[in-house]
Amino acid sequence: MSVIYLIMPIALLMGLGFLFAFVRTTLSGQYDDLETPAHRILIDDELSTPPTPNDKKGNA
Amino acid sequence: MQVEASASLAAAVAEKTCLHCGLPSSGRFCCKGCEWVYSLLQEKGLSDFYRIRDRGRSIRKSGPALVREDNTDLYGHLDDPAFVALYATPAEGDSGDRIMQFYLEGVHCTACVWLTEKVATWVPGAKSVRLDLGHAVATVRMSATGSFAQVAREFAKIGYRPHPVRQDDSLRLETRENRRALIRLAIAAAASGNIMLLAISIYAGATGAFAKSFEWISFGLCFPVATYCAYPFYRSAWAALRSNALSIDIPIALGLLVAFFASVASLAIGSHHVYFDTVSALVFLLLSSRYVLRKTQQEALHASRLVHFLTPSWARRKVASPDPSSAAANDRFEEVKTDDLHEGDRILVLAGECFPVDGVVRQGISTLNCSLLTGESRHELAQPGSLIFAGTLNQQSPLEIEVRAGASATRLSQILRSMEESLTRKAPIVAFTDSISRIFVLVSLALVAVAFAVGWHFGGVNEAISRALAMAIVACPCAFAFATPLALSVTMGRCAKEGILIKGADTLEKLARVDSVMLDKTGTLTTGDFEVLDWASNDLPTLQAVRAIESRSAHPIAQAICRYLARRQITSDESIRIEDFREEIGRGVSARVNGDLYALRSAGDSGAENEDTTQVVIEKNGKPIDRILLGDALRKDARKSVLALKRMGLRVGILSGDRRPAVLKVAKEIQIDPENAISSATPESKSELIQTLPFGLMVGDGANDAVALAAAYVGVAVHSGMEISMRAADVYQCQAGVAPIVRLITVARETVRVIHRGFAFSLVYNALGTVAAISGKVNPLFAAILMPLSALTLFASSTAGTRKLRAALSDKEGDV
Repeated sequence: MSVIYLIMPIALLMGLGFLFAFVRTTLSGQYDDLETPAHRILIDDELSTPPTPNDKKGNA
Repeated sequence: MQVEASASLAAAVAEKTCLHCGLPSSGRFCCKGCEWVYSLLQEKGLSDFYRIRDRGRSIRKSGPALVREDNTDLYGHLDDPAFVALYATPAEGDSGDRIMQFYLEGVHCTACVWLTEKVATWVPGAKSVRLDLGHAVATVRMSATGSFAQVAREFAKIGYRPHPVRQDDSLRLETRENRRALIRLAIAAAASGNIMLLAISIYAGATGAFAKSFEWISFGLCFPVATYCAYPFYRSAWAALRSNALSIDIPIALGLLVAFFASVASLAIGSHHVYFDTVSALVFLLLSSRYVLRKTQQEALHASRLVHFLTPSWARRKVASPDPSSAAANDRFEEVKTDDLHEGDRILVLAGECFPVDGVVRQGISTLNCSLLTGESRHELAQPGSLIFAGTLNQQSPLEIEVRAGASATRLSQILRSMEESLTRKAPIVAFTDSISRIFVLVSLALVAVAFAVGWHFGGVNEAISRALAMAIVACPCAFAFATPLALSVTMGRCAKEGILIKGADTLEKLARVDSVMLDKTGTLTTGDFEVLDWASNDLPTLQAVRAIESRSAHPIAQAICRYLARRQITSDESIRIEDFREEIGRGVSARVNGDLYALRSAGDSGAENEDTTQVVIEKNGKPIDRILLGDALRKDARKSVLALKRMGLRVGILSGDRRPAVLKVAKEIQIDPENAISSATPESKSELIQTLPFGLMVGDGANDAVALAAAYVGVAVHSGMEISMRAADVYQCQAGVAPIVRLITVARETVRVIHRGFAFSLVYNALGTVAAISGKVNPLFAAILMPLSALTLFASSTAGTRKLRAALSDKEGDV
């Protein structure tokens, strides 16, 4: 059971690490807006009509 | 380049709706603005807008984006160094980038997010645009050389009118406080979770070195919770003590401190009576309930801030020309914030816009719609010298006005301020909780002492501390303290989102007690707008000529006639030639149609002062040939909603200033007993009558209803009724008609039911817990598990409401 003396600190340090990450992301403002990301996820990165300078000419 | 049209575009063409905004239209587009935006999107290769818009439609919030036409440069001043210094903040790091925020009118869906953020790809210098949809605020990051004015112009082009947001301290403070609260919550959650694991192994029988080390680790974890996380409770308890008040935070702070220091002491002397688990779990639960409460309240506040956008927050100010002789040719206008207008400034207000401030007309003639201020649908003439109040709508042609009072001194802003004050008013039902909680605090402190004494008597000092602690935890009134405000704030926040602004929390409780409803006729039961009531003519050439002439006028009577003719499928033919179109404001219109001189003249009121009918005489070559009778028409939903109110056990009546026959006609149509339909009432007699109803609800809009609205047990001001009626009323409702009243009363009744359910539950729980704690049947751990259970149940009960409440809140049509 003495392994617990090794596991406990590791577990606590891991928890502390995540807590630290959470505090940092909070301070950087990631949780200020919880609504827009839900919409943003619907937007594809790839567009069917990528905006390039050539396209502009073609359309005009 | 061929662009793949999405299914909805094809459907839009088939359904005769605008390709861009989806409003009904005769051609492909409803207006030049939409056509412009459409071609701009195609040009920039952004036709994906329509695909993304359709995909996100399920989570879309409301109506189409606002599109306006504008040729003047309104955003040039955004690059002014003085302006940038006030509105922009330097970005972190040393890139030299600057950040400015814009409030965008009309953003509401996924496609809006996509489109606004894409602006950064074609504006030179723009690094990124991020939109916060909930607050409709776009954050623009710009390189040191880029132009904010250009970004603003692009936003305006794609249909979202931008307003730069001044970096306000209160906003920044709110964000900082929110972040701090979240961090406190996170630390308490992490610590209490870990301590719970350790505590369970101790309770399960861990002894010796294990127990000892677990206790020390618990102490290490609990220390930040008992100090940093619990700090808000200590601060508020201390503030209450200093002002000699009894607050719910006093027993909480006391319990936490006693438990923490007793545990530290027993840890130091090697005894095993440590309660770190209890302390941290308690702090975690209290913090989480307060966090949710804070969020809902902020949401309600944000929603009600929308009221401010009833008046424009910007204005076109005339820039003084250095050379007076060429002033007319060189009139330049700049966009300024309404707050920055001063007495004496000249501003230009176009047709269809609201006046941002009070002022005097200097140039131009137009008609005004003052319904926002007075509730009367009659239209007033404005000419040089006329007084104008903020919130009035300019209907026909541009007006140049001289500012009389700054933005903060207008009548409208005074009303808005008084509304904001009353939003923070305390509800009797909350005050009732507060007074109970005061007694509660005293009783629970006494009970803790009793538990301590009883414990001492039976088992010495450890037993005494154990029982006293259990008692303090069981009696923790947090369930009591947050359940009621939570239920109220959830309902008020949701109502505000739906356009029903409830001024004070007490109003909800009063609404639930209402037993009779008195409705104003004009504007509530009827549309309050001109509709053609009677027009005998079937002569097609005349109808077509009238249509051709009236479609050129923006006057409400002309629009009503056009609507009527559109319903009768009369279109203006291509072959009709119109010459000499002339509009004399206040008198009528005239034009030559295929050679004949037609004139439409308002014959004024057809009857007594209070009857809302107007006659228009059609003249052909100087001879009257026909008459059109226009007036107020009954709303479509009126009958159904009145029935629904009756089914809810309410007495429904009409209270109108109109003449008897007009009121009786409406009463008959919506099945209200003639004895409940009161006509020819003066403002004074209305208020006298409403006072005879101890639980009467008054619904009205006009200035003539204001006294009655204030005198009524509950007053509801609807739709356009603004100025005094809104100040006097308890509820302001953006939607017109009776249907929202049905919904409002249902929502209020259900909310009060939720509150009472919470009271009953928490009293039963606390009574049981007290008996168990004093008799020593409950140890602190048991209490610490039961207490959160009770709190969580109340929490869930308050936020979820009842099935009926959820249905009423989500039902857009009010079909209860």
